[in-house]
Amino acid sequence: MDVERFVRERRGRWSRFEALLQATEHLPDHEMGAARLLELVRLYRQTCSDLNEARSGTANAALLARLNGLAGRGYRIVYRRSPGRRFAEEARRFFATGAPAAFRRERGSVLAAAGAFLLGALVGFGAVLADPANAERLVPPQFYSESPRARVERIEASAERVGSLEEASEFSSFLFSHNIQVSFLAFSLGALTLVGGAWLLFYNGTLLGAIAAAYLRDGVSVFFVAWVGPHGALELPAIVFGAAAGFRLGRALLLPGALSTGAAVRRALPSVWRMLLLTAIVLVAAGLVEGSFSQMSARTIPYPAKIAVAALLFAGLLGWLFGWRTGEEAA
Amino acid sequence: MRAARSRVILTPEHVEIRLEPAALGRRFIALVADLVLVLAATSLVVRFAEALLPGALGTIVRALALLALSWGYHVYFEVRHQGQSPGKRMVGIRVVDGRGLPLSVEQSFVRNVVRVLDALPLGYALGAVACFLDPLGRRLGDLAAGTLVVRESTPPASDRRAGRARAFNSLRTPRLIRMARHRVSLEEREFLAELCLRADGLDERARLGLMEEVGGHYRARLGIDDPHLSGESLVRDLTAVLFC
Repeated sequence: MDVERFVRERRGRWSRFEALLQATEHLPDHEMGAARLLELVRLYRQTCSDLNEARSGTANAALLARLNGLAGRGYRIVYRRSPGRRFAEEARRFFATGAPAAFRRERGSVLAAAGAFLLGALVGFGAVLADPANAERLVPPQFYSESPRARVERIEASAERVGSLEEASEFSSFLFSHNIQVSFLAFSLGALTLVGGAWLLFYNGTLLGAIAAAYLRDGVSVFFVAWVGPHGALELPAIVFGAAAGFRLGRALLLPGALSTGAAVRRALPSVWRMLLLTAIVLVAAGLVEGSFSQMSARTIPYPAKIAVAALLFAGLLGWLFGWRTGEEAA
Repeated sequence: MRAARSRVILTPEHVEIRLEPAALGRRFIALVADLVLVLAATSLVVRFAEALLPGALGTIVRALALLALSWGYHVYFEVRHQGQSPGKRMVGIRVVDGRGLPLSVEQSFVRNVVRVLDALPLGYALGAVACFLDPLGRRLGDLAAGTLVVRESTPPASDRRAGRARAFNSLRTPRLIRMARHRVSLEEREFLAELCLRADGLDERARLGLMEEVGGHYRARLGIDDPHLSGESLVRDLTAVLFC
């Protein structure tokens, strides 16, 4: 093969292809225009055939790398998926149908994650009911510095913990940023190891169960429910959801079954990313509640009212995701 | 480190396209550049939020904007700009789907969420270890999302050296050119190109010895009877004749 001639004859169309790629790579198909699109496809096919010819005729690394790169860039455009809808439309569909449908589809993973968390909670709860000293063994000292009753009395006697709106917003912002970070970490661990995610859920369940039992033993369980309930009604499901998304992806990665790993992952991703996005959104809401409403004592809002709000939030979240079906989705 | 292998994709046109994994160093530079940009944008957002929306609402809006910026920056650029954030564009690498296609929103989202794990315990140590161990140089986020960071093929300067027209090439005669192209097989050409590319990495004596041996072979094979031509010059001239 005469490489010099080969390059001389085709150099023009390669440059044209490169310029066309440069100009159109980030345009959606409809903005590209039919003429340019057709030219792009034609040049792509020619470049592919040039690459094949060059591979069989020369070992010139520079030439092969150039053609390989051009063909690869063309391939990405010619075989890409059609670009998505507009952002507002996409967002509306996400809340109306996308997220609930993803959760219903993956309810097995959600149940598994909830099971791991509840099992931990039961173990923690039982251990502390059986022997109160277990509370100090299970719960790290920074969360357990005084007896629950003493703590409740101190909080109810002193001024409101979060005094101003400014303080509440600072605290809320910190909470949701931090919680999102942590739940994404839990997701990642679950996705790559499965066991790591299950252990994190179990451990956090144990902590919550142990603390709940300690408050129950001290006779201040109403305070506990009113304090943890309003944000917990959102935050705890969100933690479970994030971990469930991890389980779903982990199953695809580690136990793909008859599919190739890549195919299993591609099949899982549409549900997984919706579950994750919803986790983050719910955690923002939970953070806002935790930074303000949850911290208010009985003097500002009576405990039964706080517990009622908690129940409403919990039922609303689960009802939205798992309960009713909208007409659009059924169709 | 194991040598990074390339992934081969067979297109519907039955052409093999090779995806060359990006080197860790380039990825790190891209990461740092992106980080600087995100930090700059972050400080701008903080300034504006303080000026425009003082008070509690401002705090919340600022926190939400920072959250969207830190998680959304990579996703936006990877999806909208063919897998290239500004940092990646600067060093000539891009993220693609494992099949060589543009990555989808969900892939980009997941690979950037797993970033929190890759960044542990400090300075992306876990991600770097994963890159070292994976033959395709994928960090954990890439593994989870089925993506791959590839090098844009700008042939490195050293590649041209093998086929560079050598200034005083006594082999560039019509008879020898014809004979070389006729008698030197494709495998031999690849071997010669590799030899010229890698010769500079060899110890001087080893290089001269090897070149004499290979040169001697082709001296006899092509009937070159120039006694002043060293083995090394002969090999390099012959490679230049074959590739240019």
